[in-house]
Amino acid sequence: MRRLLAAAAIIALPLILSTGCSESPGPSDSAPPERQTIEITFSDGSVTPNGERVQIEAGTPIELVVKSDTAGELHVHSSPEQQLEYGAGTTTLKLTIQTPGVVDIESHSPARTIVQLEVR
Amino acid sequence: MSPDRLTGAHGIGGAKDLPLSPELAIAGAVAALTVSFIVLAVAWRSPRYAGAAGGVVLPGTTRIVDSAAFRMLLRALGLAITAYAAVAALLGQDLLTNPFFGMFFVWWWVGLVPLSLLLGPVWKAISPVRTINLLFARLSGSDPDRGVFTYPERLGYWPAALGLFAFVWFELVFPYKTELDAVRLWCAVYLAVMLLGGALFGSRFYERGDPFEVYSSLVAKMSVWGRRDGMLVLRSPQANLDTVEVGPGLLAVVSVLFGSTAFDSFRDSNAWVRFLQNTPAFRDHGWLADVANNLALLVFCAGVGLVFALGSMLTGVDKATRRVDLPDLFAHSVVPIVVGYIFAHYLTYLFEVGQQTLIQASDPLGDGSNLLGTGDWSVNYWLSYHPTLLANFKVVAVVLGHVVGVVAAHERAIQLLPKRHQLTGQLSLLVAMIAFTVGGLYLLFAA
Repeated sequence: MRRLLAAAAIIALPLILSTGCSESPGPSDSAPPERQTIEITFSDGSVTPNGERVQIEAGTPIELVVKSDTAGELHVHSSPEQQLEYGAGTTTLKLTIQTPGVVDIESHSPARTIVQLEVR
Repeated sequence: MSPDRLTGAHGIGGAKDLPLSPELAIAGAVAALTVSFIVLAVAWRSPRYAGAAGGVVLPGTTRIVDSAAFRMLLRALGLAITAYAAVAALLGQDLLTNPFFGMFFVWWWVGLVPLSLLLGPVWKAISPVRTINLLFARLSGSDPDRGVFTYPERLGYWPAALGLFAFVWFELVFPYKTELDAVRLWCAVYLAVMLLGGALFGSRFYERGDPFEVYSSLVAKMSVWGRRDGMLVLRSPQANLDTVEVGPGLLAVVSVLFGSTAFDSFRDSNAWVRFLQNTPAFRDHGWLADVANNLALLVFCAGVGLVFALGSMLTGVDKATRRVDLPDLFAHSVVPIVVGYIFAHYLTYLFEVGQQTLIQASDPLGDGSNLLGTGDWSVNYWLSYHPTLLANFKVVAVVLGHVVGVVAAHERAIQLLPKRHQLTGQLSLLVAMIAFTVGGLYLLFAA
């Protein structure tokens, strides 16, 4: 058992070392993040983008520029959840996500994941 | 309300964890691989945990834990929480702010795992279906342990495996899971089946057929709490795990648990989401995407079972052992892998949605009341704000689960296999377990 523990410790060491120094700089020591714009287009029951991943820094102001032929609603699966309404034509929706994680932006008609925000 | 085909994380929405970094995922995989072979090479060569003999008796504790008062207290607690949830379910609003959703998907399903790991077989002690069965027996003057028939032991854990599949199917692929009617119906069917099973087969049915009791009691075998000749003992989790009661369907139970959790990672992955949306057939026919998800869940669960069955059977056996019995005899060694992966997969969900549920639980009817005084709390997102720590925790949980699992399988191999097959006979099983762990890490990385 002791040999086993020693072996486990030796194996665990690189794991700890390899991850211990990969801490990314916190938001405090970086310049205020710029704005990020994501264009979303609805037409004839289809949406672009189509489920793409977008990398984004936590706290970055996001502008969703929605072009649509009908009014509708975007579901932002952040914690807590948010719902953003848009009208026919072009609507600019503002959004900021502070908590790191993966946040899906979806529409329910048509039922699509539009983008997955990878908030770091 | 339209079917919420796409609602993200787990049962109810919210943000999901960031994917693991490739470095961390690879480090975890390498650690799991190395540990596996070191266990094979250096661990003991004669059984250590055979029988449920081990453990330290804690004087006086058995009398307290088994006392009628303590039992009743736990039963009352279980019944009270159930009644509270039932009020929210029956009289509350059909909105996601109804705490019933969180109680069902988070407190019950996910919360049971850490509770059982810490305290032992929790669900058995508080299970409202057992309590109701007990009350019926009291009223009719019969024995709650005996039903009309004796439980057919050849069914083993299969009823629980079915029940667990019914839950994960509801949570992960059923499109209407965020509607109150659907969750209520699920619970009503569960209650009906459990009470009927209890009446027919007595409380033995709950040990083999209640999905939550089987899940909780399996995880409890990784706690420090055990029994020896009825006495409560303190035991190493590794020795405790060896006392899991083997029965038909045990592999099915752990396969559903592991396969479904892996499927949960998979279905949120960008690759699967985009595949479903880019393929015209799936994009234009929502029901076809539902079928694809149903099939994928089935494939994940059956795949885990098949890989493990194959891995455990590819060994030489002596005449006393039937090869087809091996998968269930080794299945307990998947439990730690499941627990490690569940922690990795659900920790933030449990911590954050669990808190949110506690806040919402203060207002079960949605009329603005603050019954528990938790209504004005706010959710602490500390874990999400420490993504590096969280990612490290995940990998450590997965690797630790893997180590405990591999040691458990090694011990069982030494108990069961003939001398000359003890080491080589483990190899294929080891490959299967490494496949689970590395596959799990890959899914956490690709999420």
